[in-house]
Amino acid sequence: MITVEHLSKSFGDFSVLRDISVDIKQGEVISIIGPSGSGKSTFLRCINLLDRPSGGKIRIKGIDMLDRHTDVAKVRQKMNMVFQSFNLFAHLSVIDNLTLAPMKLLGKSRQEAERKAHELLRLIGLGEKYYCFPDELSGGQKQRVAIARCLAMEPEIILFDEPTSALDPTMVSEVLSVIRRLAKEGLTMLIVTHEMDFARDVSTRVFYLDEGAIYEQGTPGEIFGNPGREKTKAFIRRQQSLYQRLFSADFDLYSLNAEVESFCSRHLVPLKSRHGLTLLIEEVLQLYGTSSSFFPIDITVNYSEKTGQLELLLESPPGSANPLELQGEDSALGLAIIRNLLLDREFTHSDNRNILKLYLKNP
Amino acid sequence: MILMTLAACDNGGEGSRKQGYAAVEELKSERIGVLLGSTHDRYAASHFPQAQIFQYKSPSDMVVAVKSGKVDAAIYSSAELEELMRQQQDIGIIGKSLYSTMLAMAFHKGDDELRTSFNRFLASIKQNGVYDDMSTRWTKTGNHEMPVIPESKPATGTLVVGMVHDMGFPFITVQNNRLVGFNVEMLDRFGVFVGRKIEYVSLDFGSLIAALESRKIDMIGSVISITPERAKSVDFSDPYYEEQAKVFALKKNIAGAIPETDKKSDGNILTRFLSGTAESFQSNIIQENRWRLIVRGLWVTVVISFLSTLFGTVLGGAVCFLRMSNNVFFRSFARAYISVMRGTPVLVVLMLIFYVVFASVNIDPVVVAVFAFGMNFAAYAAEIYRAGIEGIDRGQREAGIAMGFSRTETFRHIIIPQTVMRILPVYKGEFISLVKMTSIVGYIAVQDLTKASDIIRSRTFDAFFPIIMVAVLYYFISWTLLLFIGYLEKTINPRFKRRTVPQQA
Repeated sequence: MITVEHLSKSFGDFSVLRDISVDIKQGEVISIIGPSGSGKSTFLRCINLLDRPSGGKIRIKGIDMLDRHTDVAKVRQKMNMVFQSFNLFAHLSVIDNLTLAPMKLLGKSRQEAERKAHELLRLIGLGEKYYCFPDELSGGQKQRVAIARCLAMEPEIILFDEPTSALDPTMVSEVLSVIRRLAKEGLTMLIVTHEMDFARDVSTRVFYLDEGAIYEQGTPGEIFGNPGREKTKAFIRRQQSLYQRLFSADFDLYSLNAEVESFCSRHLVPLKSRHGLTLLIEEVLQLYGTSSSFFPIDITVNYSEKTGQLELLLESPPGSANPLELQGEDSALGLAIIRNLLLDREFTHSDNRNILKLYLKNP
Repeated sequence: MILMTLAACDNGGEGSRKQGYAAVEELKSERIGVLLGSTHDRYAASHFPQAQIFQYKSPSDMVVAVKSGKVDAAIYSSAELEELMRQQQDIGIIGKSLYSTMLAMAFHKGDDELRTSFNRFLASIKQNGVYDDMSTRWTKTGNHEMPVIPESKPATGTLVVGMVHDMGFPFITVQNNRLVGFNVEMLDRFGVFVGRKIEYVSLDFGSLIAALESRKIDMIGSVISITPERAKSVDFSDPYYEEQAKVFALKKNIAGAIPETDKKSDGNILTRFLSGTAESFQSNIIQENRWRLIVRGLWVTVVISFLSTLFGTVLGGAVCFLRMSNNVFFRSFARAYISVMRGTPVLVVLMLIFYVVFASVNIDPVVVAVFAFGMNFAAYAAEIYRAGIEGIDRGQREAGIAMGFSRTETFRHIIIPQTVMRILPVYKGEFISLVKMTSIVGYIAVQDLTKASDIIRSRTFDAFFPIIMVAVLYYFISWTLLLFIGYLEKTINPRFKRRTVPQQA
């Protein structure tokens, strides 16, 4: 249905998409996820040439979109788009928004077009709003009308560009349920979205875009259940990180505490976990402080907004021991406190780094 | 106007006027009215250096100024003054004549053929007694009938004569909606003499020589005296009349003159006002079927307004297209056009097009007016369109394109309908100012509503009534046209024809 080969796009010197190749079959529902600015929307807009690609090939049902002789407008009639900002025609009533293109482009009679429009509006639950104007509708209603306007052209492909991002949380579900319903009807759909649960439910395949390329793709089960690569994992878990490097045993503990404190409040880490984390850092660094062979230490705090899981990573030079296994009078109390705070721990040593991973208990 | 009013207040001069003027010399520090560009103008400037000199564009304006006390006295020509005093009993002449001038026809520099043929014609009518008969009829007896002039042979070709139509008796004026007067009769006879049809073009006094030099007219048939200065730009015929320059003022300001008793002093204010209005209505509208002049002027004004709006709307679209194009050359051209058109008075553009651009082309001045006003309107319209188009968010255009409309179709079905609705209110305002702006077309010899009232005023010397009437008529035109646009606005706005949910389920 849609074949993309080595697609690239840059705005001036700024490269947005780099070498994307995908093959999408009829009836597939593809969710495109990824951090902001990763080129998701640009990818979608390149497919219907709203943005012209800088290089590569795009074929829709075998038609080369970048060929000068291709009637792009004709192809677009079968491949409609739903926008983040709805883009309903402000001068036309709901019914006229739905009948304009079928009448002008498909040559339908007004009667025929209106019959179809009525049917679609009832389908999306807006049977009462035929003669309203766009500015009289709520955001969710507008987006449902926009979807119906696409359907009125009887397309085979629909591109959704963040269809719920401009909506109030209360209106998101009404739009998503309409899209869910379409997914079951065998339309080929590409959906750029930030709604992870929705993407997992509705799609047959998920693309994770990062830095202008498809970083990882797979079934929703693979991507959401068991992502293969680091960035995907971090994104799926909505992981936030804080990184600090300590050069010697004389590091500034108060400044470090202040950083951790502000990181926690920025990401709304619950107060109890926050206390646990500062206590853990203090106690662990006490152990590390006993020997200069541990320094420099790289400290990373990871917080998953999704699960509330906090983890602490400490990387020290190779050859150093596991500080949690140090024996001694002084460290016994500290070790007891640490053990009490932890859910799990893990020590790995490789050629160049020794890594200690500590998983905090969820209070 | 305001300046003059202010000056009138400053210089009330009641004290000096008590006795009334006995001689011209007493005027040396007073307010004196003259015709703009006339020999009187120059005379007053050199002989009354301390006086305040007010220059008027038409004799009627000057007479009204004297009658309403805006000036203390004015200089004018003897033949016209005699005629004037027959109608206006409250004015009189101060002292003796100042100097005399010779009236003559004026021709293109070097157009000796036409000039000598006029001189031959003049000599012949002086010889056969026609001239004496004409001069007695027009200047002495007050008989204002145009005689029937026998045509000897059918006319071949035309002769375009420029003149000030509202000069006043005895030389040139409009009576019963027809141009009459000594000059008119003489020129009609000259037409028969040379076998050409005379076509009269109405011009302001100040535009006469410019029109002749740019060959808009073949000769000047207006009341114009020979001066060495004018002889540099035109060739004069032999003189056909000798005029005396005289000073006139209200009789009550002249020593020894017996002022008219006020006829309207009886009755209360209301009945005086009503009878005054009725009288003005009678003289300004009914008499001599003057309403026809107004109707014709009204029609010209409406036609010019309508056609220039139409032309300007289309041209504005083209300018807007260039202004929004991606081509740097087109864009800067449109930008320059808009800034020039908005930065220059439309009157200047009008005169430039008439006297320079179409100098050697015989073109209907109404067409020139439509061009000039249309070009001016286009500059404003282009910017209005641009604001309207840019005000529509990009998303709607993208939605149209993503649905499969071409760029042009998107523009037609989605952008245009919204732009039109947005811009109409601003557009209405521009349109009204255009209607009012057309009142300056008198400058290029078009008889519109304003000019019609000028002509009527030149006969009735009524300052108040014709001006108020014209104001009311302009308001009426704007109001009617606004109703029309308002109706248009309603029909294209889908919200006005909103349908309701049908009962079918």
